[in-house]
Amino acid sequence: MKDPTEEFFDELGRRGHEPMLRKATGTLRFDLTGGKSETHWSVAMKKGDVSVSRANGEADCVVTTNRPLFDKIVVGETNAMAALLRGEIAVEGDLELLALFQRVFSGPAESIQRREAAVAGRSS
Amino acid sequence: MSDGLVQILDGNTFVVSDSRGDVEASLTDPTGLFSFDTRFLSKWVLTLNGERLNPLSVDDLQYFETRFFLVPGTGTVYVDAKLSVIRRRAVGDGFHEELTILNHDEKPVDITVRFDAASDFADLFEVKDALEKKGTYSTHVDNGSLRLGYERETFRRETVISASSPATIDENGLTLAAHIEPHGVWTTDIDVVTAVGGGGRYTKPKYHREGQARPNMERSLEKWLGDAPRVESDWEPLKTTYRRSLVDLAALRFAPAIMGGHSLPAAGLPWFMTMFGRDSIFTSLQSLPFTPELAATTLLALGDWQGSRLDDFRDEDPGRILHEMRYGEMTAFEERPHCPYYGAADATPLYVVLLDEYERWTGDRKLVRDLEQQARAALEWIDKYADLMDNGYVSYQRRNEKTGLENQCWKDSWDSISYKNGDIPGFPRATCELQGYAYDAKMRGARLARLVWKDPAYADKLEQEAAELKRRFNRDYWVEDGEYFALALDAEGNQVDALASNNGHLLWSGIVDKSKAKAVAANLMGPRLFSGWGIRTLAEGEGRYNPIGYHVGTVWPFDSSFVAWGLRRYGFKKEAAQIAAGILDAAECFQGRLPEAFGGYARTVTKYPVQYPTACSPQAWSTGAPLLLLRTMLGLEPLGDHLVIDPALPQGIGRLELLDIPGRWGKLDAFGRGRVRTGGGGSRQQLGLVDDLMPKRKRKKSRVTA
Repeated sequence: MKDPTEEFFDELGRRGHEPMLRKATGTLRFDLTGGKSETHWSVAMKKGDVSVSRANGEADCVVTTNRPLFDKIVVGETNAMAALLRGEIAVEGDLELLALFQRVFSGPAESIQRREAAVAGRSS
Repeated sequence: MSDGLVQILDGNTFVVSDSRGDVEASLTDPTGLFSFDTRFLSKWVLTLNGERLNPLSVDDLQYFETRFFLVPGTGTVYVDAKLSVIRRRAVGDGFHEELTILNHDEKPVDITVRFDAASDFADLFEVKDALEKKGTYSTHVDNGSLRLGYERETFRRETVISASSPATIDENGLTLAAHIEPHGVWTTDIDVVTAVGGGGRYTKPKYHREGQARPNMERSLEKWLGDAPRVESDWEPLKTTYRRSLVDLAALRFAPAIMGGHSLPAAGLPWFMTMFGRDSIFTSLQSLPFTPELAATTLLALGDWQGSRLDDFRDEDPGRILHEMRYGEMTAFEERPHCPYYGAADATPLYVVLLDEYERWTGDRKLVRDLEQQARAALEWIDKYADLMDNGYVSYQRRNEKTGLENQCWKDSWDSISYKNGDIPGFPRATCELQGYAYDAKMRGARLARLVWKDPAYADKLEQEAAELKRRFNRDYWVEDGEYFALALDAEGNQVDALASNNGHLLWSGIVDKSKAKAVAANLMGPRLFSGWGIRTLAEGEGRYNPIGYHVGTVWPFDSSFVAWGLRRYGFKKEAAQIAAGILDAAECFQGRLPEAFGGYARTVTKYPVQYPTACSPQAWSTGAPLLLLRTMLGLEPLGDHLVIDPALPQGIGRLELLDIPGRWGKLDAFGRGRVRTGGGGSRQQLGLVDDLMPKRKRKKSRVTA
């Protein structure tokens, strides 16, 4: 069974293109601590084309946080920018890359369900 | 600033102190050193031999630098003039204070110099609402500096204080021993550095110890003034107001961390030194003919933060443009939704309006191409997420019912939207100006789609939608018996029928049928809305009208400037000039710095604009109002690669020149001539009424500098 973080990166890699990242050019590396060892994901972005790897290579922006928190961020249970302000996420390098990338994270499930219910109610 | 408080700032770091330079804040008292929406010093008191000092004068050198001239002794008629003290303070990442003591005596003196320091690390929201802190404080004396800290879980903020001379440091401050020879001078430098971080990491302060007062900022102010167009006029107050506006706009520049040093206009100083969708866009529109780079940064930064998902706490939707960004503790712990908060219904269509207006002035198609995705998402938001009542109109209702904003239009106070009888509608509310902005966004989006994105089918679709919206709007919002547009539609689709200044924004948007424009203009310039100074937010005679009610009767210079633009759009030059005259006369009464709002009393009654008491001055869009009025007086309108100049000056301005207007044409000069001449030597003369419109005289001088 995959965890949310793995699922998130796998899905992003399969998509290969994300229009919301058209403005981002550069490599963003996530260093995730906790669990048995530190894990790395590198996301190379160019005009919306995205490739994801588990490499621990050079990056324009390095984001360090713990894995349980990141699991919550990708599914919309925690907001990445609030976590950054709290000091639960550390960033080195080009902050704009993270600001652009965080738009790809999901919103809270309840917000999405509420909207779906409202739209369904309207069209019925 | 009022209350004898002195403020200096650099971006979102600012110091508010008393006239001695001291800070003694309580939780609710808005003084101290603030940075990133956190107070880093709540106590900063200077004593010499245990005595407080007396202020002689304050020299506001620059918006980022002040000098306090002080003498020892308090409370007596006589001051001991044997010593004088100068505190020169410049703000940066914290502040730098240069303390100079002069001994005027023939004998040497030994003085104990003491700075008492403390910090409550209050969030700006806590200062406003008087809330309790949840974390723990620490104080360390460490390696020649005093470190004041605050910690809540991983959230850490720290203030580091040190001096250039040997100092005895304890947990409550610094003590220095000054020995000064007869007629001698003693000086020391104090650095107060703010640090933001978590997990032991801190941002690196830009200056620490070696830094003096950041002279690069001064140069950049000079360059800023030098790069802006010049105003020449026989009406002297206009030049003063224009210069004040430019300097204040420079002070209001805010460089978001992600923008690589580029700035956009923050909303107001000091409490609103942050990105606001609405305020940053309106101010960028006002300042486009003068400082177009502000618009470019606004578009880029707001585009980066454009909403991408559904998040009820932040009132976020895909494509929505943010309302406000904050960085303090309450935002960090999600006790407030501001990282960023999206609860504005107007910022998203206005984003597209600004993008188009920016291209029309600058010809910068690259930016329009780069932001195609963002513009399309904003246009999609209008139809997909803003039509809450499923009736084809933009409306608002917050989803965050605890800390979200109830009113998501510019008139955001609780009682701003009302029926004639004073009743207040429920939610959602579809205020009229939102429909105008949506119409304009679609029309302008269509232009950009055809011209830059090369998608004529999309352009056709947007134009059809706009035409349909205009047709319905002119039917559904028109108040027949008053001949104006209703303030809003309520949740039942009924007209919220009060007469308000929003009608002027409708003219600006172009949504008004030509056949209705004359009646709308007559209402705006009639005695119920026009006070003689500007346009009242709500018409006299309405149930909730109050000349000193925040959005229910006061005059907002920003509002009036857009009304003037709207009047010009429909050809009412004389009326636009009339508003320019009133607002510029008011500006003269405030030494060129227009307040956020002033009383709606008739000009004939008060003879002087009565300032509405607010904490923020200058306010960005009030600062921008004289700029937009210069544009409307000269009738500046980009047309293809040309700039149309069609002046209509108020009485009292005989000559108005705006030189070196930047744009796609390189640089151009605009000249306006009025028939009426003022008396010689710039004697004070208020502009008053427009007598007659001058014959059109266009003298274009092209000096391409590219």
